[in-house]
Amino acid sequence: MIELEHLSKNYGSVRAVRDLNLKISRGELFCFLGPNGAGKTTTIKMMCGLLHPSAGAIRIGGIDIREDPIAVRRITGYIPDFPFLYDRLTAAEFFEFTGDLYKVPREEVAREMDVSFERFGLVEQRHVLIKDLSHGLRQRVIYAVTLLHKPRVLFVDEPFIGLDPFSIRMIKDLLKTKAREGMTIFLTTHILALIEDMADRIGILVNGNLAAVGTFEQLAAHCSIQGGRLEDVFFSLAT
Amino acid sequence: MREFLALLKKDLRTARNLGRVVREHSSFKIGFILVFASSILLGLWTLFAAGFWFLDSLGGLGLMLVSRLFALFFLGLGVMLALSGILTSYTTFFRSDETAFLFLKPLGMGHIALYKALQSAVYSSWAFFFTIIPFIGAYAWHEKLSVFFSLVTLFFSIPLVLLCSGIGSLICLIGARWLPRGKWLLSIMVVLAVGVAIWGMRAASVSAALDEDTTLFLSRLIPGLRAASNPLWPSWWVAEGIMALARGQWARGLMLWSVLFSNVLVMGMLIEIAGQAYFYKAWQRVNYSGEIVKRRGTLLGSLDRALGFLGADTRALIVKDIRTFLRDPTQWSQGLIFFGLLGLYYLNLRNLHYHMLPSEWRNVIVFLNVFSVSAVMCSLGSRFVYPQLSLEGQGFWIIGLSPVGMRRVLASKFVLAVGGMMGTSVALMYLSTRMLLVPPRVQAVALGVAVAMSLGIAGLSTGLGALFLDLKQTNPASIVSGFGGTLNLVLSLLLICGAVFPFGFLFHLRYIERLGEPELQRGLVAASLWVVLLTLPATLIPLWLGGRSLRKREY
Repeated sequence: MIELEHLSKNYGSVRAVRDLNLKISRGELFCFLGPNGAGKTTTIKMMCGLLHPSAGAIRIGGIDIREDPIAVRRITGYIPDFPFLYDRLTAAEFFEFTGDLYKVPREEVAREMDVSFERFGLVEQRHVLIKDLSHGLRQRVIYAVTLLHKPRVLFVDEPFIGLDPFSIRMIKDLLKTKAREGMTIFLTTHILALIEDMADRIGILVNGNLAAVGTFEQLAAHCSIQGGRLEDVFFSLAT
Repeated sequence: MREFLALLKKDLRTARNLGRVVREHSSFKIGFILVFASSILLGLWTLFAAGFWFLDSLGGLGLMLVSRLFALFFLGLGVMLALSGILTSYTTFFRSDETAFLFLKPLGMGHIALYKALQSAVYSSWAFFFTIIPFIGAYAWHEKLSVFFSLVTLFFSIPLVLLCSGIGSLICLIGARWLPRGKWLLSIMVVLAVGVAIWGMRAASVSAALDEDTTLFLSRLIPGLRAASNPLWPSWWVAEGIMALARGQWARGLMLWSVLFSNVLVMGMLIEIAGQAYFYKAWQRVNYSGEIVKRRGTLLGSLDRALGFLGADTRALIVKDIRTFLRDPTQWSQGLIFFGLLGLYYLNLRNLHYHMLPSEWRNVIVFLNVFSVSAVMCSLGSRFVYPQLSLEGQGFWIIGLSPVGMRRVLASKFVLAVGGMMGTSVALMYLSTRMLLVPPRVQAVALGVAVAMSLGIAGLSTGLGALFLDLKQTNPASIVSGFGGTLNLVLSLLLICGAVFPFGFLFHLRYIERLGEPELQRGLVAASLWVVLLTLPATLIPLWLGGRSLRKREY
């Protein structure tokens, strides 16, 4: 579903991502790890089309992002670490607006809004301006809106920042369910314990290089760590 | 098409929801803003009406001038709209978080660019309408025209706004894609600035030597009139179209409107094509190109040494503020543009033959120039000095917990603000009075008022900024638009009016010989005392209140 071939990104003389090769299958929940500044967000932004790769190719669902970026956007969703929201729209208005952008039929938008707002506990906040919502509720609005057009691939950058344990549990369960339903999820986070619990495969990026990729067990074996935690694997590879 | 309409619908909903946001503010604040805005409109209306009466007094010449004046008025506004469109477009196209959000949606780049251009047009046109409403209102009242005339003006103004702002958007888009950046851009700007300064000074010295033939003088006195009457200018189509419809010449009026509107459509098409081709690359270039600059601060290192006579803590505060100012182009670039335009205008005063005007008119221009420099200081003070303490935001604890003391923090910010404002305003006033060849006494008064206004505006902006501190807000626009920001703007403007008007009026009465020399001298002493009495409290009381509030505040 996601294919990266010799992907590189340079900022002037700084090489943020170097010759990245990766394939992620349909329905896989892939977690991308790395120290701050390793190039994780740059990689996600290139996959979403926000950044132009300096070299290499990206194919999402078999479509080359350079050749048909709009087709890629139709089948992907992106939740950044600090998402943009229209503060002066209500949650319901923002939902309808996104439906129009993705040309989702109006009846389907109305039906999805009921289901989605119920699932994310937003029924009471339906007509509240987004600026008046708490951080946790804003995150829920983002998830509800991003999933509206049923993306086949979801990119999530640091989804758990500033959330309470209830919200973290809700998002974790949601992502696992969506992956089981066939959605490909590409996620970055620094909360290693959650990754252990969720990830089908883990990639570790260090200074723009993919240091290792595999299941937790494969990574542990790669680092010759037995019975350890992901934290041990991560430190072994990242330092 | 549905996506594009969705974007417009979203903006309509946002505008509708603005009512809900406004209701959250205190009715006193809203009333205050409304009263002040209405007063400005009324003031402008009175000014324009007086202008039309003055033209009436010129007889046939006045009649001839009116239609050209309309063309000049719309040309001036159109040029300003295009310039403002460049700046606004840069923010809406490249600095808005919404752009990245829209890039993630299945929208064509051309559509996003067109939408952003429309957004820029709306943002940059409020001042246009704020000026045009009293202008047209005064003309309609003077000529006893019906409400229909005002509607016709609106009918013509909207396409003009779209066209001129669209030109700005297109320049911005192409500039962001192709203009050299970094040191190259800086070098080009320096060369341009030096070129303009040399041209201005040469023009001034040449024009001073021209003879005083009255016809030549009149044609050069208002040089824009002829240029504005060129039938190829969109502003001329507007002026002629409005006049035609007001005279009941429907076919001509609609033809001119159609010419204007078809140009708007072409402009929209050009923006869409340029957007499709360049927007993404330009956005990448603005936001993600270039290396991370390692700043060694060599220049500021020497400043640090030069300020060695100050305590290390005060020095650290001052150098930190100068560093953050210089590294935030939005701050210094706006100051540079505003003061640069004024400087350019003052350099050209002799080129416009204003130095050959009778003394009473030169006096009016001198005090209008004092007002314009003070108004720019007021605008920059409200926009940048007032919110600077609030913008310390989450980092305020560093200063708050340090042993510097809040009084010194406030004093250092005040001194910096005064230094910047006074240096610039006194230099500009010196230039203006030199170019107009006014007597030393007028020059001294103009410079004195500039000094007083620098002190007063800096005191108000710094003091009220501390008094209405808002550490939770990260958006400067929200800080400025709060009650404290509005109060600061209003008080600064009142201070300017209160200080500039008495001197201007006294000298004017003297020049038209309604006041004798002894009375003028007594009046000047009284006006000087009045300005001192006005400036001292305006400077000290806000600083004292702000300092007290900072000391009592819990963080």
